[in-house]
Amino acid sequence: MTDSIRRTIVQSIGAAATLGPFAIGSASAQAHKGDIVIGASQPITGVFSFAGTAMNNGLNDYVAWRNSKGGVAGHKLRYVSEDSGFKLDQGVAIFKKIMAAEKPSFFYGDSTQWAKAVSQDAIASNAIMTSSTSLASVVADPAGMPQHIVPGATYPRLHEILMEYIARSSRGAAAKPNIAYVYADTEFGRDGIPGGKARAEKLGLPIVAEIVTKQSGIDVAPEVAKLRRAKPDIVIFQGYILAPMPEFVRQLREAGLNPQIMGTAWGLDKPAYDALGALGVKLSGVSMYRYGHETESSMINNMRQYLATARPEVKNISPFYISSWLSGMIFAEVAERCVKANKPLTLPNMKAALESMKEWDTGGITGLLADLSGHQIPVGRMYAYDSDKKTMEPASGWIKV
Amino acid sequence: MRTAVFHETFASEERLWDSPTARRWMLAFALSLFTLPWWGSDYLLAMACIVGIHVIATLGLNLTTGNAGLISLSHGAFLGVGCYTVAWLGKHGVPFWLTLPAAGFVTAALGLVVGLPSLRVKGLYLAIATLAAHFILTFVFREWESVTGGVPGTSIPRANLFGFEFHGDRRNFYLIFVCAFVMAVAARNLARTHIGRAFVAVRDRDFSAEILGVNLLRTKLLAFALGAFYAGVAGGLLGYFYGAITPEYFVLTLSVFYLAAIIVGGLGTVLGSVLGALFMTFVPELLRLVAHTSSQWFPGVAALLLPMGQVVFGVLIIFFLIFEPQGLAAIWSRIRRNFHLWPFKT
Amino acid sequence: MSEFIEYGLVGLLSGGVTALIALSFVLVYKGTGVVNFAVGEVMMLGAYLYYAAAVTFALPPWLAFAIALVVIGLLAIAIERVVLRPLSGQPAVAVLMATIGMASIIHGGVEAGWGGDTYSPPTLLPRTPVVMGEILIPGTVLGNFAVAALLIGGFLAFFRYSKTGIALRATASDPVTAATLGININYSQRLTWMLSGLVGTVAGVLIASSAGLSPLLASAALSVFAAIMLGGMDSILGAIVASVAIGFIESVAAGYLGGKSRDVVPYVVVLAVLVFRPYGIFGTRTIERL
Repeated sequence: MTDSIRRTIVQSIGAAATLGPFAIGSASAQAHKGDIVIGASQPITGVFSFAGTAMNNGLNDYVAWRNSKGGVAGHKLRYVSEDSGFKLDQGVAIFKKIMAAEKPSFFYGDSTQWAKAVSQDAIASNAIMTSSTSLASVVADPAGMPQHIVPGATYPRLHEILMEYIARSSRGAAAKPNIAYVYADTEFGRDGIPGGKARAEKLGLPIVAEIVTKQSGIDVAPEVAKLRRAKPDIVIFQGYILAPMPEFVRQLREAGLNPQIMGTAWGLDKPAYDALGALGVKLSGVSMYRYGHETESSMINNMRQYLATARPEVKNISPFYISSWLSGMIFAEVAERCVKANKPLTLPNMKAALESMKEWDTGGITGLLADLSGHQIPVGRMYAYDSDKKTMEPASGWIKV
Repeated sequence: MRTAVFHETFASEERLWDSPTARRWMLAFALSLFTLPWWGSDYLLAMACIVGIHVIATLGLNLTTGNAGLISLSHGAFLGVGCYTVAWLGKHGVPFWLTLPAAGFVTAALGLVVGLPSLRVKGLYLAIATLAAHFILTFVFREWESVTGGVPGTSIPRANLFGFEFHGDRRNFYLIFVCAFVMAVAARNLARTHIGRAFVAVRDRDFSAEILGVNLLRTKLLAFALGAFYAGVAGGLLGYFYGAITPEYFVLTLSVFYLAAIIVGGLGTVLGSVLGALFMTFVPELLRLVAHTSSQWFPGVAALLLPMGQVVFGVLIIFFLIFEPQGLAAIWSRIRRNFHLWPFKT
Repeated sequence: MSEFIEYGLVGLLSGGVTALIALSFVLVYKGTGVVNFAVGEVMMLGAYLYYAAAVTFALPPWLAFAIALVVIGLLAIAIERVVLRPLSGQPAVAVLMATIGMASIIHGGVEAGWGGDTYSPPTLLPRTPVVMGEILIPGTVLGNFAVAALLIGGFLAFFRYSKTGIALRATASDPVTAATLGININYSQRLTWMLSGLVGTVAGVLIASSAGLSPLLASAALSVFAAIMLGGMDSILGAIVASVAIGFIESVAAGYLGGKSRDVVPYVVVLAVLVFRPYGIFGTRTIERL
């Protein structure tokens, strides 16, 4: 008698202990009726943390700013994010958790891996669109991944723009400049290279070296030796935020070479252009957004104003911040178009709304009016480092591919 | 207090669940897991799938390292081999009930190759040889684009049983649950056979084992192959669950994760594998939960707490190694024994 | 041909720093029998401490370097006391996992403290490249090699000629006999760990000066394990020779096959060598007893 009572008690304690935390979790997260929820799995810690904090802040601040301007057609936006540590297991777990608890309409993730892993679940739920900071070409796929949005130009497109610019600026010169590619053995590094090479071939630009380095890029002496022998006039870096670009430049200088250094997107951020500027290098490259210090864009001015009051310690607006803010804008616009047309926020409606954004004003973040029918924004502009102002300044008009 | 458990034959003593109570508890546990999709949230279901996959992989590593004492740092890469095998076969239309065993066998064959250095080296040299195997395998994952899709990764078509598609967590959960259960029982059974005992003999003193007639080479190779088989099946299930995978998943940190799971859980025991995998999978989740809830009262704590994930991981491992070297399984047995002997003290 | 010579030379010289890391590992293994998977993290922590002292506290570089060395030395002693002493009887897996746990703690601590950004610590050595015809040896490579060679030479002399060095060697080869001869075992083992930490810090600062400081620095130690296996885990000379050889192989592979093969090729070579020399080229063949 005592045995079985004891056992029942133990069993119920065990059951309560297992289920308790999850019950508490779901009870405390009541979804408000009418709010449009944006969920996010951000790499706030882990190898990508320098970007993760910025991306988290970007979406968070956009939601707060938009709500202060009246929300989306009367509905308030709500932002729910968790830290994924840039691990796929955690990112997918967070996705499922937030999907179950908050019923979001939009989800922002941390990587290409994540976007592909949750793709089928997202499509099956028929109620969300996803976005990510990843500019990989595999996820800009309206047919295969109808729920995903790339808030910018994909890496191959960026490289095509770069090649176009090099071709245009070297028109009339005696010989075409020798181009060398130096990239990291990661997706960030490799994705854009085939597109760039194909365009270079079409334009008759010679690629004299293609150097691949390890992701960490710690010891690059043999790679630099190989690069040096190719005697390039232009070196395009892809896949690095900072290291090992300064070391490459220093060793090239020691060899007496002084090629032009170019890059794309995330490789043109403040750490890079500061460090290279300190070495006397004028970094240039293709960016899909305007920079955070520019004044021509109304939306970037809004960002600066918001940050001045809410986060006064942030001095530099990184492109990751701009990217997630822009994702927030795209989400809000899609939601607004659906709500105004009195359509529920289901995947087919949202996809149609997205693809109807053919001449959408991004508030100046991207120069031309954005055309999202391909689920990306294929525009970019050349920027070059100005050693007097110590920032990147525009070096061309906006190019669309 | 447990009474009247008398064994009258050797067979009954060796049984896995030796008393009616043990059998009933096992049945209750299996039933509660089986009905998980009904009483658990979506999140719990997804976590259960991930835990199931990790349990299978940890079982394998416990066979190689816990039972046979051969430290393997290539377990994460073996998972990758299983996953890519399933992906490639799946694309060619092979059904899951063939791809999963195939993944297991392919990985087991690779495990045999990786175990070959045990011919010549032992102990920590062997560990570093498996590290070499890890680097070579991950290199192949990134470069062999026709099969693995290279750095962008590959997608895995959903498992299909004559038209019944395993999409969604619920169906995948049953697939994973059945595999995990069967493989756990198999591992438990293995410990009772002469192979299992040969493993333990090799771990403790392989020289003596050889003198007693245990074929060292075959035993060591079998240990690697079996562990790799489990990892291959786990990798295949991983592929079916996620639907798409990149080589970024199979890094050295994954192998370290599994090693930590067997240490924390308990070397050489099936219960240890299950508890270890469960524990290690939930530690980051718990940490996030704590950070999330505490940030409502103490904002800013989250920023301090979240990067501590790795620190917590390291502290846990060292804590278990110093204070509870036999792992969670030993704690569990101690509690069980307390209950069996209640109201008498142990 | 000059290409091959250049890659080869650059590789041999870069191997100097790898030799320092390998030395850090072998010291601990030889002295205490512990496989220290945390060499990379200790190296990284040393570099971060140097950065903190030099930049955050704005001390002159040499003073900052000295402070980093002192702190790492103390940390090494603490690690030996708190973590490894209680684990002295445990199986190899347990001690290995303890060092991996330590590595996680240090890595997590560094990320929590300094974040994931890359920093540029001030350099200690001048950068003057050496040009020999078509071959150019970058300044950092030469400078790092010089420092590494000096330090290793110093260590070899220390172990050969100084009383403490001989005591350490005695403790390493047979602790019981050493104890009967009056050598303080605990003190020796602690000193071994401290020296290992110091050597790691030097390597970390050298690498950080040229490659920048970020949590990825710890991964530079992964290729060291190939060198250690090749040279024999308990041979200092083996570690040095093998590191230089691995540096050579890596560099030539990177030059001809591309940077992505850098991780793999050394390990393939080492596996091949293991078939003929299972304990590494210079390792001692352990005699097993029943």
